[in-house]
Parts: sequence; C-alpha cells; structure tokens
Amino acid sequence: MRIEHDALRKRRAARDSRILVTGGAGFLGSHFAVALLKAGYRVTVVVRSSKKLSARVRIGRLTEWFGLDKGQSGSLEVAEGDILDPGWPGTAAGAGPFDEIVHCASSTAFSERKRPEVEAANIDGLRNVLDLAVRSGCGFFHHISTAYAAGKRSGPCAEGWIEGGPFTNVYEETKARGEIMARDICRREAIRLNIYRPTIVYGDSRTGRTLRFNALYFPVKAAVYLRDIYLADIRERGGRKAAELGIRLTEEGSLVMPIRIEVAREGGLNLVPVDHCVRAFMAIFEDGLDGGIYHIANPKATRIEDIVGYGRRFFHLEGIETCGKEGFSGRAKNALEVLYDSTLEVYRPYMQDLRTFDTANAAPFLERRGLACPAFDYGAFSRCMTYAVDVDWGTKLLSP
Amino acid sequence: MPRIVPEARATAAQCRHYAMCKIDYLGTGLCPSGPERHFVTYYPQGRMDLYRGLAEGRIPVTEALLDAADTCTMCGVCDAQCHFVTGLQPTPVMRALKDYVEEFRRGKGTVVHPVEDDALRHLRAIVGRDWASNDPAVLWTYADDPFPLAGPQMPRYVVLPGSREEVAAIVRQANELGLAIAIRGNGGSVFGFVFTDGIVIDMNRMRRIEFDLENWTAAVEPGVTSFELQQEAFRRGLRVNAAEPAATVCGNIVCTGTFSTWSNVYGTAADNFVDMEFVGRDGRVFRLNEKPGPNHYAFEHRVAPSPGICTKAFVRLHPATDDEEGLLVPFVDLEGAVRFARELGQRRIGLAVAVLGAHYIAGFLSPDEDLARRLKEALPEALGASFVVFAIGDRFARDAIRKMAPAVIDAGLLRLLMLGLPRLLEPRWLDLAREFEGGGRPFELLCRPEMRPLIEAALLPSPETIAESVPEGLRPLYRELYARPEMTDMVWLNMHRIVSARMSRRKHMFAFLVYLPPARLDVLREILDGFARVADAHGIDHDFGFLTPMDFGKRAILEYDYYIDHTDAAEKEKIAQAMPELDPWLDALAARVPGVLSLKYVFSQGCVRKESFLYRV
Repeated sequence: MRIEHDALRKRRAARDSRILVTGGAGFLGSHFAVALLKAGYRVTVVVRSSKKLSARVRIGRLTEWFGLDKGQSGSLEVAEGDILDPGWPGTAAGAGPFDEIVHCASSTAFSERKRPEVEAANIDGLRNVLDLAVRSGCGFFHHISTAYAAGKRSGPCAEGWIEGGPFTNVYEETKARGEIMARDICRREAIRLNIYRPTIVYGDSRTGRTLRFNALYFPVKAAVYLRDIYLADIRERGGRKAAELGIRLTEEGSLVMPIRIEVAREGGLNLVPVDHCVRAFMAIFEDGLDGGIYHIANPKATRIEDIVGYGRRFFHLEGIETCGKEGFSGRAKNALEVLYDSTLEVYRPYMQDLRTFDTANAAPFLERRGLACPAFDYGAFSRCMTYAVDVDWGTKLLSP
Repeated sequence: MPRIVPEARATAAQCRHYAMCKIDYLGTGLCPSGPERHFVTYYPQGRMDLYRGLAEGRIPVTEALLDAADTCTMCGVCDAQCHFVTGLQPTPVMRALKDYVEEFRRGKGTVVHPVEDDALRHLRAIVGRDWASNDPAVLWTYADDPFPLAGPQMPRYVVLPGSREEVAAIVRQANELGLAIAIRGNGGSVFGFVFTDGIVIDMNRMRRIEFDLENWTAAVEPGVTSFELQQEAFRRGLRVNAAEPAATVCGNIVCTGTFSTWSNVYGTAADNFVDMEFVGRDGRVFRLNEKPGPNHYAFEHRVAPSPGICTKAFVRLHPATDDEEGLLVPFVDLEGAVRFARELGQRRIGLAVAVLGAHYIAGFLSPDEDLARRLKEALPEALGASFVVFAIGDRFARDAIRKMAPAVIDAGLLRLLMLGLPRLLEPRWLDLAREFEGGGRPFELLCRPEMRPLIEAALLPSPETIAESVPEGLRPLYRELYARPEMTDMVWLNMHRIVSARMSRRKHMFAFLVYLPPARLDVLREILDGFARVADAHGIDHDFGFLTPMDFGKRAILEYDYYIDHTDAAEKEKIAQAMPELDPWLDALAARVPGVLSLKYVFSQGCVRKESFLYRV
C-alpha cells in the first residue's frame, strides 16, 4: 500500500491529510466536504463554474447554506475545474499532492437517452479522477457509488464486487463499471479503496433541508404543480378544465385529482436521509481503513402507498390511488395519468424494489457510533416537503 | 440646430430596411402617405432614414423632408408593423422628426430647394413631374441599406416609372446621359447591391396583378410584393412559390430565383414562372420565351449581370386543397432531421418541407425577443428538441408522416403552444421538463393526444396569454391579431412568411445560402462547421437557418446566418474580415462535391433552369 496503517492514522489524527472532494457543489459532495471540514480535515473541493457563476461564488453560496462560519469556509480550498476535461488531471495534480480523494461527482440520470452524459460523468470522469489519484500521490480513494450497482435482481445484495449485469438502467450499469475500474486501478497502484453505496438519499430527517429535489421529490413536485394548475382553474376560471378531468374541490378544501398509480404489491423505496448518510460516511471514512465496500441503506423500505398517503395528507390531495395492473382495465388513462405514468417510468424499478441490501461490512462502524438509519415516516416527509415548498423546490435556493 | 433625440436616433439607426411597413401584412392599413406618394421617403422606413440622416448631418432640411415629416399623421400603424417583426416602435422617431421640423421652422432655418437640371427635366418628361426627384432627402432614403460591407452612395435621381414603356424610355435616357442605373423593387435591399451614383429606378408604382386561371399564371408587375401576390392567390384558393413578404416577386425571381420551403415541390428559378418580360440594357423589350432572344435559362458559373429590368413575370399558380395543415416533427439532432426531410422529398410526401433549428422556431413563434431567447434555450434543454422538420401536407401526407415519426406537433397542438408560450416558458414548468427522466423526450410526452386537456389547463392558450409578452401599449393589438385563425395557422403563415422576418429581430442578419446534396451528411457537417469556425474566429453570432430538400431530395438549399449589429463599426469590421475566408473555402468544396454551390453565383441569374446549376454534366 502507498500508505501504511500507522502513517495514515497519524496523518488523520494530526489532521494533516489533504483531502480532495470532487462534485463539491453537488448534493452529497458538498455534504461530505462540509462534514470533513467540520471534523477538522484539510479539504479541497473540485467545482465547475456554471454558466452564470464562478466556482468560488458557487461554493460561497453553499457554505452559507450550510451555515459555516467565516473561519470554516475560509479554510475550504476551491479548485476550479471540470473532471470531464481531459487536461484536468494534469492541472489538478499541480495543485496537489492530495493524500486522499473522495470522489462524489457523478450523473444520477437514469434515462437511456442520457447515456452519453452518464457515461461521460460516471466512467470518463472517474477515469480522470483515478488518473489524478495515481499522479498526485493519493494513498486512499473513497468512491461514492450506489447500492443499485447491484443491478437487476431481487433479494439480498452483498457488499461485494458486481462483475456483470443485467442492470435496470445506464446509471446502475455505469456505477457498477466504475467500481470495477476503481478496484483495478487502485489495486495496481496500491491505493486503498473504500466504496460507499448509499440507496436513495433525501433531505435531512430532522430539518427537511436539502439541495436536490429529484428522485423522491420529483413525482411529488409534479403532483403539486398539477394541483396548482387546477386550483387556479377552479378558483379563477370557473373550473371548466378541471371538470373535464373529474378534478374538483371538496368542502374541506382538498383537491380531488383522479390519478391511478400502478404499483406492485411487494417491495418499496429504500430511502436514506442525508444526515444519516453523512454520519455513516464519516464513520466508515474514519474507521474503515482497510478498504472495502459498504452499503448505506435503510433496513426498512417505504411502501409507495405510504408515500402517497403522506402526500395526500400534507398537500390536501385526494383521488391519488395506487393499484395493480387490473386497476386500469375498465377506464383508459386520463391526461394526468399519462403524465404521471411517463414521469414515474424510470423510477418504477425503485418504487417496487425487491432488493435488500446487506450491511455486514458497514454495520460494525455504524454500531460503534450508535448510528441507525431513521425511518421515513410522515414526520420526515412533512419536514422535507415543508422545506421544499419554502424554497419553491430549489428555485429560491442559493439565490443571490 | 434643432435638437436630436438620442433614443429616437438609436431606433432610427436600427431600421432593418425590410420594407415590412410597405405591405399591409397585419391588416392594419398602411402609413397613409406611402401608397399615395410611392417614394420610400414617405413610408416609415424612409422617415427613419431621414431622421438618421439629419442626426448624422448627412442631409439638409429640404422640401421633400418637410413634406415627408408633415405627411406623417402619427397614426401608429408603423408601431404595429415594425414591432411584429423587429421589436422596434418607430412612432417616437416620427414624433422626433416632426418636432425637429417644427423647431427648424420656428428658428426660420433655410430650406433647400433642389434645382431641376436637364437630366431631371428629361426624366420628368417621361414619368411625370411627381415621379422623378433629385431632392437630397429623397435621394438619401435610397442611398444606404444596413448591409455592413457597403457604405452609403447617393444617387443623382430617383425615378418611379408607371409602365413598361416608361422603363424603356428611362433606360434609353440613362444611356444617352451616360448614367448608371440601379433597380429597387421595393425601395430597399438587405444585400446592399442596389446603390448607384446615377439613377435609382423604384418600381413601386407598377403594381398590377392579372390572373389567368385557364393558364395557371398571374402576370405580375415589378412593384408587386410576394405578400400581395400570395394574398391574391390565396383568395382564389391557389398558391405561388413566394419569397420574403416585402420582396417584390419580379425582383426576387431575377435576383435569387426564389426559393422557399415550398421549393420542395415547386422548385426554384425557372420553375417559378412561365415567361418573363424584360427591358434590356439597350431599352429594347423582350420575353424569355422568344426564340431569338438570349438564353437566360442557361447558367454561367460566375457572378453574371441580370437579363435587364423585369417589367412583368408570368408566375406559375399552384392548386391547393382545403385539407392542408402544417405539422412539426421534433428531432434531437440535425442529422436525424435532415434524413427525415430528405425522405419526405424522396417519397413525395408533403408540400412545403424544411429543417428548422431552435433559433428560427423560437423567433417565428415568439412575438417578443426575450420570449424568443428563452424558448431557444428551452427547446433543446428542457424539451429535448434541437431541430424540427416542418411540413405542410394534405391529410394523406400527414397520416404518412405520423406513421414515420415518433412524435408530431400537429396544427392543433402548435396553436396551443403558440398561444400559451409565456406559460410554457415559466421556470417551474421548465424545471419539471428538464428533470423529466422518462425513456422518451419531454416533447414526445407533449405530443401525445391524451395530454391536450392538461396542456390547455397548464398553458391557458389564448390571444390574451400570448399578448402578455409584448409591451403594454401593444397588447390590445396583439390580442386582436392572435384572435385571427391565420396567425396560428402554419399553412397561412408559411405561405405569407410574415413571421420568418423575425429571424433577425435581435440583430441584422447576414444570410449565406448554399445548395448541397442532402444525402451527404458529411458535406453538410463540413459546411456547418466551416461557417461556425469562421464566425467563432471573428466573434460573430451565428446560427443554423434552415434546410429544404429540392428535386425529390436529391438536392437541398441550406441557409446559415451571421448576425451583427449593423450600427456598430466594430461588428461591421468583423464581418468584413470574415467574408474573404468564406469564399475560397466554399469554392473549393463546390469544386470537390457535385451539387454544392453558393447562391452568390446564382445571383442575377434567377431565371435559369435549376437543373443547369444543381447538376454538373
């Protein structure tokens, strides 16, 4: 190994290690970078400038969102760059050396039509970051993958290498391929490697705060968007359009939107709040020095029926129902259902997921710190949705 | 000196000289003095030039200038006409011109009274006193177009003949006087080719159209615009292959051969007419179909002069059926769209066919530049469609296209999208579309018939909604305009081409047209990359324009556009430097690939048979 146990421990203890975090402006990347920074490590984040904002301004807004004080945010180093740029490893190596790299930058798109961008981010980008690891004297590579790299299967998934498919989508496939690439290069170069595999990460279970409103949020956001359209139609224009689709307002003020959502009887959504994900990452990062693969998962999946129920209660929405295939036999899909069906198409394998995720490797580190994944209950849902509505699903977030 | 209003000066300088204020394309009526006095000086375009001329110290206050200012009634028609295509509102310029004149009179300034010289006397003897002028203000309105590569050139006289005989007499007179002639079909040219220090002949008084339905032709005089001819043809249930609405039919045929999206079925150049009548350089009148005449149907691969002054074109009329409608087929990439358009040509499906990019689509659909900019961004980013194939077809053609394409925006859906455009571009909806992860693209979902009720509820498509996007003072007009069915009818819009003039609303456009074999996608890519490379090297805005298959998909015409602010000297310099790089590159490509030809070689040879330049044997 490039760095021995004792040396690693010493450097960590002295907070002497320089840690590079890719995807520093992303959801998990920013959370991990801030957690490392708060734990006293020397952190450099790789951030792209956006069309409108420089990398530094983007990070400035993020550190503000995280509530870092001036001292903390001042000690966060920003390395502007794009890991997809072929010249990036050379440039970034110049800013090194980096003792450890936490690779978070990734595309979470599922759609096959987005394959080129997903492959670019999850394969080419990873290759560049590994290239940097090789060049910059990195001794420990922390690769943020996904539990769904396990691919299309049902039942228990081990914390082991996935050598082949089939996969549900391009995201799973590229994440699995990425893990193998990281393994091979790290083995060859004697770099320690941790693979972190979270399931679906949502907002903070205690505060509801989050930076991303995809995955769990997207179908809810779509429902709220539809609700607002038809509420305006009923309140401002007599409700003719609403009536065409059987949408109406109840006396109690709830909106009835007839949407049937097809779900299987079994399975559910495996949801991990970001606060638990961060704590689990830190536990494994700090204590799992030998390298390994670690699931960060919820022992209990959430049924779609429960989420629909939470949404009904929180947003005063009636009429949204889950049903099996047979629920559609008598009546053709209406416009709302066509939209919903298309919207949920890529999420369907996760909504009725029969995969369970073994945590034998991760569990000891989490147990040692007394960490348990919170359940996704109505309380967590309502906190997350309150925050989402407050920041208008992200449009009011990080604004100037 | 009377005061110049800076804002009015800036607006006046932005006049694009599209002459859209010379045709009643919105049904609002025309500037009252224009059709009466015919000189461009008496149209809003002329008055914009007059104010710019005064501001730049180019012209004195003359009799004609006072008259042009006095005859403006401040009716506001020009605001509607100009805003619709350019986003400009000329009435503050008209007000400023009138104020200038008033102040000049109060200050008892000296008015210039041009002296009638011998040449003018001769010209007036031909056309009548009112129709020839050497007034500097009149001359100035024929001296400068927003073409970046040519400066202003004052003619000595402007003459408006009323007949073929008068045209012939003017030519003979000019020959005797040793004066050069330039013809301005509708008073202006965006290509800047029609300047002279001699006589400008403005054809605006020769405006007769005679339909001969037995022979499927319309005999058109040279002051008739494409819009006017198409309008008359449309009233009779017919159609012509027409150019930009304000371009004159005769001028456009002679100049470029007239090409449009309809060239897919109606062809170009000599396909568009049955015969043409000219006054030659010696003043002799001849027809192209006369046996002994010069052969103007043959193409010479060089920049060649025109056959003469066209005094009549016998334009071909085409039948239309009452079940024609337009549709758009969205595509992710240009190659897919070109393949599809070519296939329509090959299979003889549809009438008008074109590949359009996000820039054109956004510009055409949006009555406001900011809306157009946002739609241009949203089309690829949020809706996943960077290009569309636009087609017009009868019900059989449309059925065929629906079977060939995964998703189709039909006439009904386009109407909803057009009238609901401001809502379509609301950030919340775009965010949802952007994050949409379905296997298909967002536009495919949008195109599903079951989605219509939802689209109607979400976009609230109506003349009121679309009118929200224009300045408040113009909203009543836009509400009224968009309440008319033709304003959202792809067939009518494409025949009359009134929205395509919006393509250069943001900046003046510099169009490059190239014929090419559309089966050669590698050549198409090379051409697009070449235009982009040169533009980028000089910091010029640029974009794909359109591509229309021709002659059963064997050939196509491509437009690529550069955009510059023609009032900015630095921008003019950029294009002056870029131009010399384009010609050798395109010439070399044309020599290498059969079917590639820059339209500049067809210029002034628009009467040729298309086969003589599309194919090399």
